[in-house]
Amino acid sequence: MMTASLLNNLLAPLAMLAPGSSGSDEPASAHLAHMTEHVGTGPKWILLIVFLPLLGFVFNAIYAASGNKSKLPAWTTIALLAVAFLATLSMFLSYDGTPYTVHAFDWFNLHYGEKSFVANFSFYIDKLTILWMLFVTGLATLIALYASEYMSHDIGTGYCRFFSAFGLFVFSMSCLVMGDNMLMLYLGWEGVGLCSYLLIGYFYKKPSAVAAAKKAFIVNRIGDLGLALGIYLTFVHFGTVEYAALFSNETLHHYIDAAVAGDFSAIPSEAQWIAMLLMVGAFGKSAQFPLYVWLPDAMEGPTPVSALIHAATMVTAGVYLIARFYPLFLVSENALPIVAWIGTITALLAATIGMAQFDIKRIMAYSTVSQLGYMFAGLGLLSTTGAAFHVLTHAFFKALLFLACGAVMHGFAGQLDLRKLSGVSWMKGWGIVGITMLIGCMNLAGLPYITSGFYSKDMILAEAFVTPGYRLMGWVLVFTAIMTAYYTFRVFFRVFLGDQHAEPGEDFHGDDTNDFHPHAPGWAINTVLITLAACSMLAIALAWIDKSAYHGWVGSMVADSTASFHSPYAVSLAAAHGEGNPAAVAGPVGYGAPGKVLGMDPHGGMIVVSGLGAIFGVLVAAFFHGPKGWQGLFLGGRTQADKCRMDAIAKRAGPIPRWAENKWFVDEFYAMVFVTPLRVVSHIFHWIDKLLLDGLVNLFGFLPRVLAWIIRPSQSGVLQGYAVSMAGGLAVLLLVVIVIVLRAGGAA
Amino acid sequence: MNLDSLMLIILIFFPVVAALWIAFSKNADNAYRTALIASLVLLLPALKLLDRFDFAKGDVPQFGYSISWIDSLGLNFSIGMDSISLLLILLSVLLGPIVVAASKSAITKDRRMYYAWLMVLQGAMVGVFAAQDLLLFYICFEFTLLPMFVLIRKFGSTNRVAASIKFFLYTFTGSMLTLAAMVYVVWFVAQPDQFGAWTLDIPTLTKYAWHMSISEQTWVLLGLLAGFAVKVPLFPFHTWLPLAHTEAPTAGSVILAAVLLKLGTYGIYRFAIPLAPEAFFAYAPHIAILSIIGIIYAGLICWVQTDIKKLVAYSSVSHLGFAVLGLAALNVTGFSGSILYMLSHGLSTGGLFLMIGFMYERYHTRDMNTVGGLASKMPIWATFMVFFAMASVGLPGLNGFPSEVLCLISAFQSDAAWTAAGEPGAWGSSLGPWFAVFAGTGMVIAAMYLLYMVGKICFGPLKEPEGHHDHETLPTDLNFREIMTLAPLALGCIYFGLQPTVLFDTVSDQVNATVRIVEQANGLESAEPRIMHDTPAVDDIYSNDNGHEGASHD
Repeated sequence: MMTASLLNNLLAPLAMLAPGSSGSDEPASAHLAHMTEHVGTGPKWILLIVFLPLLGFVFNAIYAASGNKSKLPAWTTIALLAVAFLATLSMFLSYDGTPYTVHAFDWFNLHYGEKSFVANFSFYIDKLTILWMLFVTGLATLIALYASEYMSHDIGTGYCRFFSAFGLFVFSMSCLVMGDNMLMLYLGWEGVGLCSYLLIGYFYKKPSAVAAAKKAFIVNRIGDLGLALGIYLTFVHFGTVEYAALFSNETLHHYIDAAVAGDFSAIPSEAQWIAMLLMVGAFGKSAQFPLYVWLPDAMEGPTPVSALIHAATMVTAGVYLIARFYPLFLVSENALPIVAWIGTITALLAATIGMAQFDIKRIMAYSTVSQLGYMFAGLGLLSTTGAAFHVLTHAFFKALLFLACGAVMHGFAGQLDLRKLSGVSWMKGWGIVGITMLIGCMNLAGLPYITSGFYSKDMILAEAFVTPGYRLMGWVLVFTAIMTAYYTFRVFFRVFLGDQHAEPGEDFHGDDTNDFHPHAPGWAINTVLITLAACSMLAIALAWIDKSAYHGWVGSMVADSTASFHSPYAVSLAAAHGEGNPAAVAGPVGYGAPGKVLGMDPHGGMIVVSGLGAIFGVLVAAFFHGPKGWQGLFLGGRTQADKCRMDAIAKRAGPIPRWAENKWFVDEFYAMVFVTPLRVVSHIFHWIDKLLLDGLVNLFGFLPRVLAWIIRPSQSGVLQGYAVSMAGGLAVLLLVVIVIVLRAGGAA
Repeated sequence: MNLDSLMLIILIFFPVVAALWIAFSKNADNAYRTALIASLVLLLPALKLLDRFDFAKGDVPQFGYSISWIDSLGLNFSIGMDSISLLLILLSVLLGPIVVAASKSAITKDRRMYYAWLMVLQGAMVGVFAAQDLLLFYICFEFTLLPMFVLIRKFGSTNRVAASIKFFLYTFTGSMLTLAAMVYVVWFVAQPDQFGAWTLDIPTLTKYAWHMSISEQTWVLLGLLAGFAVKVPLFPFHTWLPLAHTEAPTAGSVILAAVLLKLGTYGIYRFAIPLAPEAFFAYAPHIAILSIIGIIYAGLICWVQTDIKKLVAYSSVSHLGFAVLGLAALNVTGFSGSILYMLSHGLSTGGLFLMIGFMYERYHTRDMNTVGGLASKMPIWATFMVFFAMASVGLPGLNGFPSEVLCLISAFQSDAAWTAAGEPGAWGSSLGPWFAVFAGTGMVIAAMYLLYMVGKICFGPLKEPEGHHDHETLPTDLNFREIMTLAPLALGCIYFGLQPTVLFDTVSDQVNATVRIVEQANGLESAEPRIMHDTPAVDDIYSNDNGHEGASHD
């Protein structure tokens, strides 16, 4: 089996190291045990982070009922979220290295025998939680500010509804990330699913939006089923769903030690199944193959929603899930390799589709799916730090890209077709959008050394190249990175550069007037774009702040959490780069001296390959889509919005571009293989129910019906009379049965 | 008789008195008001009982009152309530004013008859749950049929005659067999080597019935299930339900879904399990399989309905499969989950039926192809609709979730081979993970059909039937009265979603007592502690670790 052999490469010499712990004689699970040994109780103000967004939801719901029309819901939401962000910040600053829990109220407390099933409304704070909450609350605040302007067309109709759901989403996401037990995570998990449903279907009169919302919820539910079963199995196996108890469970520690020793036969298969089930949930929420199909359709929602929920925060919940339950994934023989390969396949598949789309928002959607694939590959390759770092940088630059696209959509009445827009950067008032879009594109493309996207992707790619047996995965991911650079800059060259041209879309935000004025974004949108662009660039520093820790600041955040497991290869490589604590790498040095890439140290070779690849992708995009002159880097030849060199190539390539544009017909395939047969079966069931089951009942009911016919004369119009005769009949029948049974009993 | 027992008696008989008052009053216009006041007044004794209930002794019937009725048959009028009766009685009484208020504008003809029968139904429902005497239970159990029959027969929609007859005869036929089984149990307990005297006292019967041989128990179980499985309804005995639900007036549907179906699960929990514990243990997997088939089968049927009321009716079949699954697991989590499911299904599905009723009053159609996209016309209605649909889907934080979680966990647990080492209360029958997996698909299917429903009826372009403006009432959003009928249910959904522990604690003693009966009857207490797997000993792991070539702790 391929996975099994690859797995042995990955896990057999796996050492779990935490910076600072010398890791020599201690078992691999020691760090986890130390960390969860003394879980303290935190201050109550932590609850503000969770409940302020909920307050926003409640306020906006009441405000909606009052029927007032103003921007008040937006300002309330922004203010509450900003306070939540500040509270998160102070949570970060006051964190002293010991995880703690904060109790809100009791939720599940079921006792039986001497055991109990406990899952309270409480929150578990460690550095992984803090890392996630920082960008969740921060981005939510920014995007709420953006939305205050973006949604202003809907004041009085959907404005309150939008911000209600927005607040509810942030609340749910906080529960997901901060919950101290698996059921709280599940509550948040389904809660964000509900908000996603409500917000995708925000334009509820549009059938396509309703269908997309439904699809998102149902596809996610399939994943949720896996997650739920995984949670139940965890409870049945370990007897608890609370993090503190679960991660300090000695049985789990033994399993981890056995897994590190490569002895998976010592781990019962139920324990190994947990990760396989949880993984399904992660694939659903984070839009991984084969459950990714809902995310591109989710672009039916307003763009701030796409940016916040479907790019920056909610879709990273799957990454959080796997990072949080990393110990459970480690003890499963096949789980991590499957996660890595699913991530890689998704990254590649989504990139191929993204290259052929014309709707800029969908391109961004597929790039999100693809980048999430990188994160999963990182998780599967034992680089939780790489995955977490990529989550963080991606949150900034992808939110930025979506919001920039949203500004275009907002300004040009919903126009998203890149064939109908050109040279937007040069239009009056659009300069900031152009520049920030460029920064976002550079980060997504991963241009070497100057973008944060490069560094975070680098951590994942390096991991693939240094892990024996995963070189192929590394090459696939590098190839995908080249495609990413191409399709990203395809958008930029076509929409933002070249001669000015814009056809308005069909969406007038419910405005009945047919006169269209393209309008440049206002101060709120511009402020948010500039902030996000700055964040995207500054995120580079995160890899370098806190040099003492392995993999910098993000590494330090992941290290003090349940996700703090590193592959020995990466650690030895880091040591070679003079990074990190030398004591930490004492163990694994000498393992798997990785082979060379293009004659270089694998990490260095990888940087060259992926860096040049990204530049190459941009140049290809310039050649095929760039406008004439310097704007196309003197390679391009486009003079019109809808004509470029790619058209000729596309014609030559036969049906392939069309298939890619049609998403390789995956949706049609699912419809044919799953949905239609299921509908047919449902109809058959319906007919069985009507004809067969009910028919049998009617057959058996034949005799009583005869009886009913006999009684019928007494139904003389007075219903009470009928009822009384029924009661009389009942009594008589009762008596008969009693007598019969008593006789029988007496005889026996 | 103390004051508390009197309260319980009032709960049973005051509605009957009110019914007579309504039926024989001169003025039909007062019927609604009288019924509403009566049902609201009933809340007082109910709340008083809640206040007086001793939760520390939840497994003992409280407020007991017994009076000899027919001495020669050993028949007593004996009532009382333990924690489970308490919850179900509270649910029934709470629904009273809601269904009355919801009927105000829907029922315009024969109002006296309507409200009178509704009141009778109220009393009968409380009687069923309060009965401590087998025959009294049975009489009340059957007596709920009659008012419901009239409500469907007289106030239902087009196909009401067939629906009412099928409803009546099907459930009645089933319960005849139930009666036979009950009588056999009574006879058995009356044997000299058992209790030795003719008794219909339920606690006494429970004490001796499990001495029956397994074959006797099997027959008794089959007999009991004949009535209860039809009532639940368990696949394949459910075909009366969609018809009855669809044809019944709104109040009838609400009571049918919220309370009358629960008579089936209540009967299984109260009688089938304790009276035939060994047989139930042996056949638990079969019952569980039927319930899982019901979950999937009925769920898929929901998905292709165009009649919205039929959709919700079938969803009851699907949902109650979870409740039966929890019962079949025969452990504490399963029983707690199942009882919670009875209550939470009452709230959310009751709410859905009310929503549909309000829509039907406005558009006079239940066809989702002719009416839809109502969010733009009736935003408050649509908000409630989405809310109850989500409660029904089992969204965490709302009422459906805790019960669903427990029912599924119980299926996992009840396979001794999987359970973490011999925990009393968690053994249960022998279901196992696959039962949970297949039942779990119900989660996905529920999302499929409920979102299909919400997507059609609430969202999309507004669709209204032709010529609906001809009716007197122009479609407008919910009025204050209607919102007030929905609000208690919605608040209940949120409360039970966030505070399920209140319910767990309430039923805990009762459930543990029932589990003990099952374990005792099946000799589980004396069984060796069951170890699910060979957990590697600590030393083994470390020796493996050290011995492994690739280990890296040097």
